[in-house]
Amino acid sequence: MSILQKIKNAVRSRSIHVAYVDVGSCNGCDIEVLACLAPRYDIEQYGIYVHNNPREADVLLVIGSVTPQWVDKLRDIWDKIPEPKVAVAIGNCPISGCVYARRGTLTSPPVEKYIPIAAQVPGCPPRPTEILNAILSVAPLIFKDYEEKQP
Amino acid sequence: MRSIVYYVREFLRPEWIRKFFSVKTAPLTTPSYFKDYPTRTEKECTGCFTCMMICPAPGAIAVLRKKDEWEPEVYPGHCIRCGLCVEACPEGVLSSGRILDVTERDRTAFASWYHLEVDDNLCMRCGNCCVSCPVNRQIDPQLAGTGTSASDEVIMRIEGGRVRILHEEKCTGCTTCETNCPNRAIRVARMVEGIQGEEAEA
Repeated sequence: MSILQKIKNAVRSRSIHVAYVDVGSCNGCDIEVLACLAPRYDIEQYGIYVHNNPREADVLLVIGSVTPQWVDKLRDIWDKIPEPKVAVAIGNCPISGCVYARRGTLTSPPVEKYIPIAAQVPGCPPRPTEILNAILSVAPLIFKDYEEKQP
Repeated sequence: MRSIVYYVREFLRPEWIRKFFSVKTAPLTTPSYFKDYPTRTEKECTGCFTCMMICPAPGAIAVLRKKDEWEPEVYPGHCIRCGLCVEACPEGVLSSGRILDVTERDRTAFASWYHLEVDDNLCMRCGNCCVSCPVNRQIDPQLAGTGTSASDEVIMRIEGGRVRILHEEKCTGCTTCETNCPNRAIRVARMVEGIQGEEAEA
């Protein structure tokens, strides 16, 4: 392993930049993500920073079942994130549609249809600790030795 | 000048530096009262489907027949962890957080019955509901054709040109009347009420 790779690993493990996008949910999961930022959970101590700008993000948190307006725009946001990148589905909505998975609603879950999802955090809403655990366990899998894993 | 020196000396203390770089907030533990996904207790499931009927989330719980016994299964991507299935189960088959302890302490339970409702604007008085109802059939075998009946014991009958519901409490919730109604005029709703104390224990 080259020294450059080692430096990259060290830096990436302590600076995970997160952008979140709500593609049509009840805002319950947004509030749980917000709770992660608060002093009680304090995600910055784990080296996770919320910037909400896809251009400088590593992790995209997708919240909500997909409404028609988001179908094309979600892909655009995903394409804007530089490599290496990872998408995490937060809550039941991106997985199954949760309470919106009924006849007569306009949503079209799951989110995997539009962008590749690396991890799912089920719950309605999930606990902030579950969100934290998911980000912290999925990020090293993707980011560690990223350049060496490329074919 | 002296204060600057003081601050520099304070922040160069090895103990302070070590704490600055290593101390984190206390490890985040899940509280014991947290309602997590329902887990199975060792009680035997009777397959009454009360949990599936009370579940507000689509596709969150299914009671499956496995070999010779019923087995409730919870699907995490669908379950919203409301704990209603745990509370509603008459056998205490599921457990989550302290719900079982609290229901025992407060002596709470759910009572349920079926409510029949006929929309008179949609109903065309064909009597299909009265004729198709299996309970009606059992009570009054003469019931046929127009849905009129001489018996007062039937659940519903055509009376004075409209459907009259006599004994709602006899309904078993099979929804045969709903499927046989050509106009979707009759609806069967399962009503659930929380009860506490003496009546809950009965």
